[in-house]
Amino acid sequence: MSADARQDFALAFLSILFEGAPFILLGTLISGFLDVYLPAGAMDRLLPKNRPLAVVVAGLLGAVFPVCECAVVPVIRRLVGKGLPVSCALTYMLAAPIVNPITALSTWKAFQGQQAGLMTSSRLLLGFLIAVAVGLIASRLSLGTILKAKFAASLAETPPAAETREKPACGSHEQDDTCCGQDPHHDNSCCGRDHPHPAADNRVVAAFRSALKDFVDVGVYFTVGVAITALFNTGIAPGAEWLDSLAQNPTAAPAALMALAFVLSLCSTSDAFIAATLAKFSWAAKLAFLTFGPMMDVKLIFLYQSVFSKRFILWLGIGLFFAIGGLSILWQNLIVSHFIP
Amino acid sequence: MSPRNRRILFSLAVLVWAGIMLYFHGSGRIARYLAPDFRPLVLLGGLGLAVLGLFNLLTAGQDADCGHDHCGPDDGHDHESSDLPPLVAFLLMVLPISLSVAWTRDEFSAASLSRKGLYDSPAELSATLLSNLPPLTRELIAERYPATPDGYHPLSLIELFFATGDREMQGVLEGLKVETEGRWMEERDNNPDGTRKRLYRLFLTCCIADSRAIPIILEYDKTPPEYGENDWVKVAGTMHFQLENGGIQPVLHVRRTLAADPPYEESFLRKNHLLPR
Repeated sequence: MSADARQDFALAFLSILFEGAPFILLGTLISGFLDVYLPAGAMDRLLPKNRPLAVVVAGLLGAVFPVCECAVVPVIRRLVGKGLPVSCALTYMLAAPIVNPITALSTWKAFQGQQAGLMTSSRLLLGFLIAVAVGLIASRLSLGTILKAKFAASLAETPPAAETREKPACGSHEQDDTCCGQDPHHDNSCCGRDHPHPAADNRVVAAFRSALKDFVDVGVYFTVGVAITALFNTGIAPGAEWLDSLAQNPTAAPAALMALAFVLSLCSTSDAFIAATLAKFSWAAKLAFLTFGPMMDVKLIFLYQSVFSKRFILWLGIGLFFAIGGLSILWQNLIVSHFIP
Repeated sequence: MSPRNRRILFSLAVLVWAGIMLYFHGSGRIARYLAPDFRPLVLLGGLGLAVLGLFNLLTAGQDADCGHDHCGPDDGHDHESSDLPPLVAFLLMVLPISLSVAWTRDEFSAASLSRKGLYDSPAELSATLLSNLPPLTRELIAERYPATPDGYHPLSLIELFFATGDREMQGVLEGLKVETEGRWMEERDNNPDGTRKRLYRLFLTCCIADSRAIPIILEYDKTPPEYGENDWVKVAGTMHFQLENGGIQPVLHVRRTLAADPPYEESFLRKNHLLPR
């Protein structure tokens, strides 16, 4: 790399990183504290009994329990294990990284001067609709079709949802301050493990540790994503000209940016700062980038495999690609074109 | 690696980010990277990261529990395990940002600027930006931008540039004696006698990566003076809009060129893209 290329890369890299890092920090602090302080059954209790309605409500839970896509997979794995219906968990998993206040704020900030309100509302709405649609489809499928065989088998051995719902959450110390009917300061026989419940200050330490871990996990992918973006932004990366040539193609541009989102594996709290720099690309392409990325990318493929079957992940990816791409193009042609000169 | 050492390593990585963000904010260099409304966020983010890093560093050896059960069979729920080996994660967090701090000169090279519109036709810029400009008349110019003792009206480069896309503004500015400032760059095209240079500033929306170059052409009667690429200069001359290469180009016929200090806000900003006076 020449001295000029290094200088250009460094300038673009630092500017995008400085812009996105505070939002990653905000997201990981919130998710870290939710991770430790959110009672296991809290989300479950908010859902209506009617299944389709529960799926719709699950699509909005990210507004109350904001979690980015890296953190959401362990969370839904745990919630499914606790009896949350898979269709609701899947809807929450896909929607929460997008339909949450941190992502909304970062998208709005990143797109200042580029129809920020329209992009933010379009992203949230499209993310919500897609997640609910997937949840409704999933509610008609068998657990064996959706879940990894080992995980599905383990669920069959655990108590049903109704039973787990009635129990106070382990971390909540609600009502009688018991966990699973046991004295919290002694034996947690529900877990089959013996661990003492910590004092409040220990939970703060645990929350900060969880936030640190989340920040590093997300920060690593963000760094790699920003580096690749900076290389394209300054024309250093091979193929930058080719990518530019697709930028205004109404079909190829959303497909190209969804592929880029898949490879970059950015966090939903910071990906808008990358999308906003892709000035040559169409509005639909940026919307597709911002909706597809938090639902399907390289790192999520690995995370999803801890819960879902490989076949389901494959069909989920293909379905999301065509649904988000098609709806983004439709959205631009029917609605956005009236607002953008 | 032990959990304690992993916490120390990750805390150090976060502290490196915190230190760099706080340094760029404290030194004022952040003004070259981000629009003003993002700069306080860098300060807050840097302070927040410093707290996160220091807290975890100081409590790295302390026992702590998450407060809830890890009950499920095959429960992989773990608050601290990472996707990558800790050392790899640490290097990925620290190396690129450290190298970038070492490499950056707080400005783009000519090659990168050409990708950001330095040599594009002014008509290619969006009408959205143009529509943000207030109307301009000779009376307003005389009132708001009084002429210098030698008769030049100090106008911003962005007004001269965007007039190219607006016939009414062209009529107002054509033949007007104006003074403006910007960064010096070679003229690449249509310059057989070497009498042309290019003057530009960046238009910044959020960060420098999403910026666009706002250029005009400088035309000299004879060989232009010698300045380095990206040097700040103040030029004065007569404004013309000429048909070249199938499009209107803003060309300043220069009579006076002086080296200048960079303004506090080097880029034009989305919210206030007229130069502070």
